[in-house]
Amino acid sequence: MPPFDRTPQQNKPFKQRKSFATRRHEVAGIRSKFPNKIPVIIERYEKEKYLPPLDKTKFLVPHELTMTQFVTIIRNRMALLPSQAFYLLINNSGLASMSLTMAQVYKDHQDEDGFLYMTYASQEMFGH
Amino acid sequence: MNSVSPSAAQYVGLVMQDEQVESWRQPPLERQRSFGFRTPQASDSSREAAREPDEMEKVKAKLMSAWNNVKYGWTIKTKTSFNKVSPVTILGHSYLLNSEDEVERFRRDFVSRIWLTYRREFPPLDGSTWTTDCGWGCMLRSGQMLLAQGLVVHLMPRDWAWPDAQQLTDVDFEVFRPRSPVRAGGVPIPSFGSLRGSSTPEKIPASSQAPKFCPRKRPDSAKDQQAEPIHSKLITWFGDQPPAPFGVHQLVEIGKSSGKKAGDWYGPSIVAHILRKAVAKNSVAQNLAVYVAQDCTVYKEDVLRLCDPSLTPADPSNQAWKSVIILVPVRLGGEALNPSYIECVKNILKLDCCIGVIGGKPKHSLYFIGFQDDQLLYLDPHLCQPTVDVAQADFSLESFHCSSPKKMPFSRMDPSCTIGFYAKNKKDFESLCSAVSTAISSSKEKYPIFTFVEGQGQDYGLEGPSSNHSGPLAHILPPGPLSRSNTRRSSEEFVFL
Repeated sequence: MPPFDRTPQQNKPFKQRKSFATRRHEVAGIRSKFPNKIPVIIERYEKEKYLPPLDKTKFLVPHELTMTQFVTIIRNRMALLPSQAFYLLINNSGLASMSLTMAQVYKDHQDEDGFLYMTYASQEMFGH
Repeated sequence: MNSVSPSAAQYVGLVMQDEQVESWRQPPLERQRSFGFRTPQASDSSREAAREPDEMEKVKAKLMSAWNNVKYGWTIKTKTSFNKVSPVTILGHSYLLNSEDEVERFRRDFVSRIWLTYRREFPPLDGSTWTTDCGWGCMLRSGQMLLAQGLVVHLMPRDWAWPDAQQLTDVDFEVFRPRSPVRAGGVPIPSFGSLRGSSTPEKIPASSQAPKFCPRKRPDSAKDQQAEPIHSKLITWFGDQPPAPFGVHQLVEIGKSSGKKAGDWYGPSIVAHILRKAVAKNSVAQNLAVYVAQDCTVYKEDVLRLCDPSLTPADPSNQAWKSVIILVPVRLGGEALNPSYIECVKNILKLDCCIGVIGGKPKHSLYFIGFQDDQLLYLDPHLCQPTVDVAQADFSLESFHCSSPKKMPFSRMDPSCTIGFYAKNKKDFESLCSAVSTAISSSKEKYPIFTFVEGQGQDYGLEGPSSNHSGPLAHILPPGPLSRSNTRRSSEEFVFL
């Protein structure tokens, strides 16, 4: 696997790279152009050691897409095996049920800036 | 009498707070790193180490093994307190410890759980010089304990208890504490700990406040006695010898296909898959299958297909419905456990069909079997015991059962874990689905930590690894080639799904 090279700029979480006003503006723009899509930010858990970084962080997702479908798309982009642990945490804390649609998750968990934030992580290893 | 921790005796009576214990352990940990021993971060150096001559590896393994004996052999005893107002739950059974009877039932339940720990001086693991799993194999040991519990409910009589279960040590039950405030006067509180080392625990001085257990005949005791040969047999399957079907040798071997090797650290999800393969591969548990959920989803049709041979006509020889162990690897938070899941974990541990949770504190694996208030009850694999030759007819079962229950706060639980359930038959499986669904939907968090869905995984676009990039969803923007120069810009663009 190639080394996970990221520029220092990209290492910072999206929310810290851009001001609230910029983010808010961005959502307003994209929502007016694509009212049937949901803007989602997906970032790697900052201490993740096993999953590769994604080449993109911003996704426009159809309302009716289920979490299962969404997770499968992301898994495929990373070429993960089905048995490899992969979790999408909403706002870096809770799991979303796989049967939910993106519209439901967005309704419950969208940020004040209008994005839906998700973090992906595998599992920790134990040894001591 | 107790082979578990002879050196601990010198520490008995030494009362230390948790933090003090931690700080006492800290310097040696740093020393361990400076020796160049493996740490999870040091994967580069370990790859180099693999190329070093065997001699070096042997010396390293010996040093490591010696060090871990020191590190894990000397456990400082702290007493675990149990109050009498809140029930203690162990895998679906609750005990309100306000009477001797209840304490006795609790003891029998706790001590009957199978305890698997680090072992030393076993035959070298294939392809390595490791003769111990001290310092790296704790998650494998927790996994073994989870599987052992599954096998206990699968093979032993219902609510089986080990007739020879030891007395508890290092515990303090509120119910046995004197009511008067003598405690302040420095009078030691009588507890089971005081029985430690006594060869005849029955002969307690009459003046002592310690409880006297007259081993009363339980109605099931004859049945339990009859099950003893199965009990011993079951433990031999976890023996530290290469042929043991669920021994560390087999598990490490199976783990190689997931890119793991002896000496590596393991996670609760990888171990779930290792257990699944180990059970599928071995004939000792012919009428048992293990299902591992993917992406926090249990596909009921997949479980039925795994258990019902009539649905897969390829094997007409065996028509009996297989019992099933369902393992659900989850991540209950990012950095730390999301506190809103605590209630949910408690509800799961209250279920009859639950066989425990493998997880731990960060980096330190434990097998969770119950709770009291806001503390988890666990079995700890971090004790390096000498290997027991389970091939001998009358090997001692004592080191495979734990007599000192330990607790830790939920707040310290690592979010990565695997939850285990068992269903004997199809009817059991149906009631498991509804009971578990109820238990996990009562969480404060809006969504349950995992779900049961009708149908098969492939109905939802999940297939084997071969389907990657070719499934119905793959038409959506494959990660196209990006020229280095515009990576930065394009990562700021939206991906359309």
